[in-house]
Amino acid sequence: MNAPTRQPDADIRELSYSEAIREAMGLALERDERVVLMGEDIGVYGGAFQVTGDLVERFGADRVMDTPISELGGAGVAVGAALTGLRPIYEFQFSDFAALAMEQIVNQAAKMRYMLGGEASVPVVFRMPAGSGTGAAAQHSQSFEAWFGHVPGLKVVQPSTPEDAKGLLLAALEDPDPVVMFEHKLLYKMKGHVPEGWYTTPIGKSAIRRHGKDVTIVASAIMVHRALAAAEKLAGEGIEVEIIDLRSVRPIDGDAIIGSVKKTGRLLCVYEGVRTLGIGAEISAMIAESEAFDFLDAPVLRLGGAEAPIPYNPDLEKAAVPQIPDIESAARRLARREV
Amino acid sequence: MPTEVILPKVDMDMDAGLLAQWHVATGEHVEKGAALFDIETDKAAMEVEAPASGIVGHIVAEAGSRIPVGQVVAWIYAENEEIPDLPPGGTISGDTGAAEQEAGRNEVAEVPQPTAPAARGSDEAGAENDSGSPRPRATPAARAAARKSGVDLGRVAGSGPKGRIQADDVMRQQPVSSGPAAVAGLSEAAPPVDWAENQRPLAMTRRKGRAKGHPILLIHGFAADASGWAPLEKALGDAREIIRIELPCHGRSPLVRIGSFREFTRMMVRAFDDLDVAQLHLVGHSLGGAVAAAIADIRPRRIASLSLISPAGLGPEIDGATLYGIARATRTDSLAPWLKRLAARPDAISHDFAKAAMMARMEPELRAAQVELADMLFPDGTQSFDLSAAMARVDTPFKIVWGRQDRILPWRHALRAPDVAGLHLLDKAGHIPHIERPEAVALPLLENFRTGEIPVQQR
Repeated sequence: MNAPTRQPDADIRELSYSEAIREAMGLALERDERVVLMGEDIGVYGGAFQVTGDLVERFGADRVMDTPISELGGAGVAVGAALTGLRPIYEFQFSDFAALAMEQIVNQAAKMRYMLGGEASVPVVFRMPAGSGTGAAAQHSQSFEAWFGHVPGLKVVQPSTPEDAKGLLLAALEDPDPVVMFEHKLLYKMKGHVPEGWYTTPIGKSAIRRHGKDVTIVASAIMVHRALAAAEKLAGEGIEVEIIDLRSVRPIDGDAIIGSVKKTGRLLCVYEGVRTLGIGAEISAMIAESEAFDFLDAPVLRLGGAEAPIPYNPDLEKAAVPQIPDIESAARRLARREV
Repeated sequence: MPTEVILPKVDMDMDAGLLAQWHVATGEHVEKGAALFDIETDKAAMEVEAPASGIVGHIVAEAGSRIPVGQVVAWIYAENEEIPDLPPGGTISGDTGAAEQEAGRNEVAEVPQPTAPAARGSDEAGAENDSGSPRPRATPAARAAARKSGVDLGRVAGSGPKGRIQADDVMRQQPVSSGPAAVAGLSEAAPPVDWAENQRPLAMTRRKGRAKGHPILLIHGFAADASGWAPLEKALGDAREIIRIELPCHGRSPLVRIGSFREFTRMMVRAFDDLDVAQLHLVGHSLGGAVAAAIADIRPRRIASLSLISPAGLGPEIDGATLYGIARATRTDSLAPWLKRLAARPDAISHDFAKAAMMARMEPELRAAQVELADMLFPDGTQSFDLSAAMARVDTPFKIVWGRQDRILPWRHALRAPDVAGLHLLDKAGHIPHIERPEAVALPLLENFRTGEIPVQQR
C-alpha cells in the first residue's frame, strides 16, 4: 500500500469527525481485503459512538466483526490476526477499557518486531474514544495518550480535526507497526473539511494551527480548539499566540516545537491527561535539552488534567481539565511576563 | 595594637557558625559598625559589624568555613599602624579539612590587592559583580543575548518578575549612546503606541551595593525619568543598593491612562511589592515625593526611612505653566527656557542638558501621556492631592530637603509637614536640588539612612 499524496484541489466538503473516520475505514475495507474491523458492538449497533455505523451492511459481518465483551480477548485476536497477515482495526468502546488489554498492546504488539529480530510486524490499529466532557465519569473519561506514548514500538496519534482523523487513520493502516489512535469524544460531532479519496496525514508531524510571535501553545485533540478560542481573545489584546497541534504523541514532532519556541521564547503545553508525568512534561524537558533553551524568555508552563479521577458532577468535570479561560489566562501571564 | 575580630556568639546554644561571606577584602578600609561578614547558624543568618575603624590587615578565616565561637577571623589595623606580613595568630579554618585549610591559606595570601578598591573610583562600581554576589536573575534568552553582545548582565536592569532580566532588557542595553546617561537606549526602547490597557510592569533598574544596608529606592518627579538621579547616586556612594522605578508614562515605563492619583499610586505600590526587598530607604522627588509618602503610608513596615526632596502633596500651589511647558515642548529650544525655571541659577541648565532631556522626550506618545497625566494630577495648575495626613502617620526617620529658590513648589509647603520630619532648606537650589547640589542633598539623606538602619530600640 503506497502512500498516495493528498489531493490539494479536492472540493470543499464537510464531514464530521466520526464520518471522516468511517469514510477512512470504508475506503480501506474497499481497497484492501486484508483490512478487518473488530470491536464490541461495532456491527449492527454501529459502535458505542456510532463511528462504524453502516459499515457492517456494506462489508458484511466477516469483515466488520462484533467481538465478545473481553477487551483482552478482542485485542489478542486483533494482534494475532495482524501477525498472521491481516490489517485489523480494533475499536475500544472507551479508551479506559484498554487497561484490560494492556498485555496485548504493550507486551505483545509493541514488542514483536524487536523480539523477533524484525522478522515479524504487527500492523494493527487500536481506535480509542478518549477524554472527558460527556458526563461519563471516572472510568470512561480518561486521557491515556502519555501511557501509550511511553512504550517504544507503539505509535500514538491524536487527531484534532476531521481531515486529520481520516488522514491519520489511513496513515496508521499503512504503517507496518501498531498504532494507537485516540479519538476525543467531544470531537466526534465536529464538522470540517475532509478531502475525498485516499490520503494520509503523516504520523510524527505536527501542524501549526495559528501563527503568532508572542507565545507558543502546544496542544492536542480538543485542547487545540480551546487554545484557538483563547488565542482569538488574546489577539484582541495584542497577544499573538502560535498554536501547534501535536497530532502525534509518539513520535513527537520535536523540530516544529523547537522551531516555534525559538521564535516566541515562551511555551505553554496544554493537554487533557493528568498534568504530572504527562505530555507537557516530555515537551518541557525536550525544550530544556534542545537548542531552543537559549531562546526561552520565560519559564515553561503546563496546563494539564487535575491530579484526580474525572468527577461525574458536570461543573467539577469541567474544572478537572484545562478550559478556554485557563488557557487564556496562562498565555496572557506568559506574554505579559507575569511568570 | 590591631583589633581582633572574633566569631561572635549570636545564639544561646551556638558553639560554631558558618562564615558565609566576607563584605570586605584584605587591605580595605572599614568603618566601625559597617558590615564585615555574614554568619549563618542553625537558626539564623546575620551580619557581623566591624568592631573598629581601620584597615582589614588580615582575614584569617575563609568564607564557607565553620568557625568555633570566639575564634579570631580577622585583624583590623589603625590607619597609620604597620601591618605585618603574617597575622598575629596565624590563619585558621573550620572543619573543612587539612587540604582545604592549606588552600584557604594560599587564597588569603594571594589576594593582598583586592579588585574592589580599584573599582571604587568608577561611577558604576556598584554594578560590579563581586565574587560574593549571586548570579543575576535572567532568562536563558537574556543570557544568550548577553553572551552574544558582550553585555554584562550585572549591569542590566531587569523588567521581569522579581527583576528578572528578559531578552529585550539586554537588547536595550546594546546601543550605547555617546550622549548623557539620560539618552541611553531611549530612542531604541520606544514605548508602546497602544496605551489603552497596557499592563507591562513599570521600568525598574537596580545597581548593586558594595556593602549591606537597606537598598535605596528612588522615585523621580513629573516629566523626569530615572536618569535624573545620576548626580545624587554618585553623591550617595555605592555602599547601598540603588533601585530606581520609573513612574507610569515616564522613561521606559508603559504609557497607561490613569484616572486618579490613587490609581497612579496603586501602580507604584504594585511595582514596590514586586521588589522582593524586606525594607528599604524611600526617596522621592516632587511628584515622586508625594508617591513616596503614599507608599510609606500604605507599606509602613517596609520603609526604613523616608526622604522627600521638594515633595508635592503639601499644598495647592504648583507652577502649572512650567509643568505643561516641559510636557509639551517638542524641541530643545522650547524646552530649555522651562527647564531653566527648575534651577536656582538658570545657567546651571546648559544647552547640552536641555538637549539630552529633549532626546529623552522625543516620543510624541510619551509627551501626550504626560500632558494627560498633568491634566489629571494638576488641574488648573493646582495640586489635586494632599499627602499631609499620610506624612503625619510616618513613624520612620523622615527628612524633607527643599531648595530655597524653588519656583515650582514653594518651600513653605514644608511648614505643613509633621513634627517628626526634619527639614533641610538648601540655599542656591531650586526645584532640583538633587541635580544642583547633590552632595548637599546626600548628606541629610545618608544620615537618615543610617538612623533608619539602627534598630528602633537603640535609636
